[in-house]
Amino acid sequence: MSFIVRQISRTAEGREIVRPSRFDKAELSIGRDPSCDIHLPDLAVTLQHALVREGANGTIEIAATAGLPFDVDGRQTERADVDPAKGANIRIGGHMLSVSHGEGEDAGAVILSIERVGALSDASEAKDEQKVFSLAAAMPSKRRMAWTLALIVVALGLLWPITAFYANQDAKAGEARPTAFHGDELWSPGKLSIAHAGLENNCKACHVQPGVVVADDACTACHTNVHDHADPRRLAAAPARPGALGQAGRAIATAFNRPEGRCADCHIEHEGRTAMPVTPQKFCADCHTDLSKRLTDTKLLDASDFGTPQGHPQFRPLIATRAGETPTVQRLSLDARPLEDNGLKFPHALHLSTSNGVARMATTVGARYGFGKSLVCADCHVPDAGGARFQPVSMEKNCQMCHDLAFDKVGPTYRTLRHGDPAQVVAELRAFYRSGGPARPFGLDGMRRRPGDFGATRPPSRAASADAAIRAVFSEGGACYDCHRITRTGPDDFHIVPVRLPDRYMMKGWFDHKAHATESCESCHAAKTSESASDVLLPKIASCQQCHGGEDAHKAVPSSCAMCHDYHQGDVAPHAVRAGWVRGEVLDSPRRRAADAMKGTGS
Amino acid sequence: MASRGATGRIAGPAGARHEGFLRYAGYRWLKIALIVSFVAILIYGFHNPQPRPNGGSWYGYTLGTIGALLILWLTMLGVRKRAMTSGSWSLKAWTSAHVYLGLSLVIIATLHTGFQFGWNIHTLAYVLMMLVILSGLYGIGAYASLPRALSDNRGEMTQMQMLESLRTLDRQLHDAAQPLDHRFAEMVRLSLDEDPFAGSFMTRLTGRYPRCGTRAAQAAIREVTGDRPALGGDPLEKVDMLLGRKEAALSRIRQHLRLKALLEVWLYVHVPLTFALLAALTAHIVAVFFYWG
Repeated sequence: MSFIVRQISRTAEGREIVRPSRFDKAELSIGRDPSCDIHLPDLAVTLQHALVREGANGTIEIAATAGLPFDVDGRQTERADVDPAKGANIRIGGHMLSVSHGEGEDAGAVILSIERVGALSDASEAKDEQKVFSLAAAMPSKRRMAWTLALIVVALGLLWPITAFYANQDAKAGEARPTAFHGDELWSPGKLSIAHAGLENNCKACHVQPGVVVADDACTACHTNVHDHADPRRLAAAPARPGALGQAGRAIATAFNRPEGRCADCHIEHEGRTAMPVTPQKFCADCHTDLSKRLTDTKLLDASDFGTPQGHPQFRPLIATRAGETPTVQRLSLDARPLEDNGLKFPHALHLSTSNGVARMATTVGARYGFGKSLVCADCHVPDAGGARFQPVSMEKNCQMCHDLAFDKVGPTYRTLRHGDPAQVVAELRAFYRSGGPARPFGLDGMRRRPGDFGATRPPSRAASADAAIRAVFSEGGACYDCHRITRTGPDDFHIVPVRLPDRYMMKGWFDHKAHATESCESCHAAKTSESASDVLLPKIASCQQCHGGEDAHKAVPSSCAMCHDYHQGDVAPHAVRAGWVRGEVLDSPRRRAADAMKGTGS
Repeated sequence: MASRGATGRIAGPAGARHEGFLRYAGYRWLKIALIVSFVAILIYGFHNPQPRPNGGSWYGYTLGTIGALLILWLTMLGVRKRAMTSGSWSLKAWTSAHVYLGLSLVIIATLHTGFQFGWNIHTLAYVLMMLVILSGLYGIGAYASLPRALSDNRGEMTQMQMLESLRTLDRQLHDAAQPLDHRFAEMVRLSLDEDPFAGSFMTRLTGRYPRCGTRAAQAAIREVTGDRPALGGDPLEKVDMLLGRKEAALSRIRQHLRLKALLEVWLYVHVPLTFALLAALTAHIVAVFFYWG
């Protein structure tokens, strides 16, 4: 049998060079050894790799000699029979042997065409310079990474929240949404205030419709009893016309579907888990600056900023100018030096002196009533439960320890006249004389009588009879007269002008005494020099302005309107005071303490 | 250098010194970016929104709008760089503006946040933006320092010349190994069959190839030849010598790959994160208008 071996190589241009050799042998050796019939200079081929020999029925047999397999038509084997008429491709190492049968003058011979098909090394293979030398060879493509990341962000940051919004069925009137993380919470720019913490995971409770601002309906769904600041028509007429910039801002806001005057304009949310922020001053000043020029019939005085001159009117406390059964009460500016008539005669200076009889009296009874060497404000003015104001001053609690109304002693017990009831006083004194008691009642010139001094009391100088005693007690120098104004309409018809001590002067603004505990009383109230009860002892605005300025003032206490005034005014302290807000930070408040306590127990 | 000087004289004073995108037009865009940042900070200082600075104040919206438009424009460099032109809107001018205005975005966007951060889409957009800017900063540093190292390492060779020298060594190795028996041939093939460009992202960045086939082949051969006298004519000696040369060629290529990787790696952060940022920015804006306050 003849084998024709065609060694094929290629020039650089790709042209084939065929070097045929003919073997008239029954068996050919294949290997890397140069002595082999078919020499394959290929390190993947062993020195003696395989044998090709004549098989039965015109086939040829190929068998590995070193136990290393080869491929026949892609199948790995160590032995194969090949029909040259059908042909086959045998791969050994990097070389391909194509088997075919000869035609024409080569008829009857088996042709083995041999060509190197594998590069001799990896580096010798064709390389795309741009790619292999670049990091791109070791990385996924930037385009793929970009798309992947962008799609992840869109899915998490856009599709999930929107789906969560439309899936939310629990938004009606702030119902609780099941406790879980909902996709739209990813959009929340900050925690809700303490008051709204329950709505934290229920965006739709306030953001009812996509693309529509938080409307007042969403607020009033829960806040059912909030009242308006004023008549809506007057409210609409009150704001100052904005300047060019302001108008541009309004135009933009309108273009973006943000109407003016919503609850959310003032009540700003998503500012963190604190009390709700205080309404900025500008929301008040927008209307109240030069309000009188726009609402010409308003009784309100213009106000723009507490700290600036003319920025806030002088205080106008509610003052009783005439005492009586129906006293005359007026709001009067402190600049007008108003005189108060509350029905009582009470010189503060006399009682606060450190050297007069009052002081000596205080020393005497001090141990029993907790006085010092002289009286101080706090001996009579006791803070009320909230600390903002004071408990009412009363005869029984605050005067009687010195100004007692004792007129008789039966055994160890003193008999006293009934305070607040002149007819009863008359009746008591008449009964005293009728019962034939001691010749004279004592001490009803009372002002300088000291409790416990009963035995030392000198006999009354003027009252020799019941009539005289009654007259004396209601007259100058008498126990009633020195503190009260008395009218007489008949022989025994004495009347006391009613005393009404105000518990609050500033009805439109809020003043909290507790917040000013670091100050002395005298630093604001000139009580020590006040000789008459008609002096209004309130400080003027200038006194406050020593520490308080407007919202942006560089004073010890920058104070926006909300520190003293509430938009939705009620009987309680303004929201800012209740929440303990000062310029963006909660200092101390019941709510804050409650929140802290909750945090403490939660952790 | 001499030829550069000569070119400078011919081209006139303007061409006397190479002007990169950083110092383009006497740092024009650096100055503009500084002015923009300074003005933004100044207004922020005087602006006093209640209860605290916020992306939702008028100034917050203004900064946000400027920032978003700036991000879109900065992204357009990817489109713009594919078309080279000259003049004041040359690619160099554009790149210069891209770098400096991109850096001013740190100020603009940070002020836009009002320093309010949280686990939400808004802060995600901010963080992605900062990562893009940081990677860009790295890129500037890399472009400023690495090309010299790259050129030093290459030693006047082109990439293809480096590859060609490797191929030549492979051919010589292949030829020298022909007489070796199968066991040694397999050792040599360890080196020949190794892809010099294989290796993960980290391999490229560190330049460490602990499983180098060439080194393994040389070690295996030296284990055999180590205690033999070098008589010359031993094909193993020649293979050993060739493997040593190949290792030197490889280490040069690997250093080249490492420097190129360091030069390119920032783009694999900069570009994909830019698109993630665009997505987050879209979500941020949609969120604001969807849950319109």
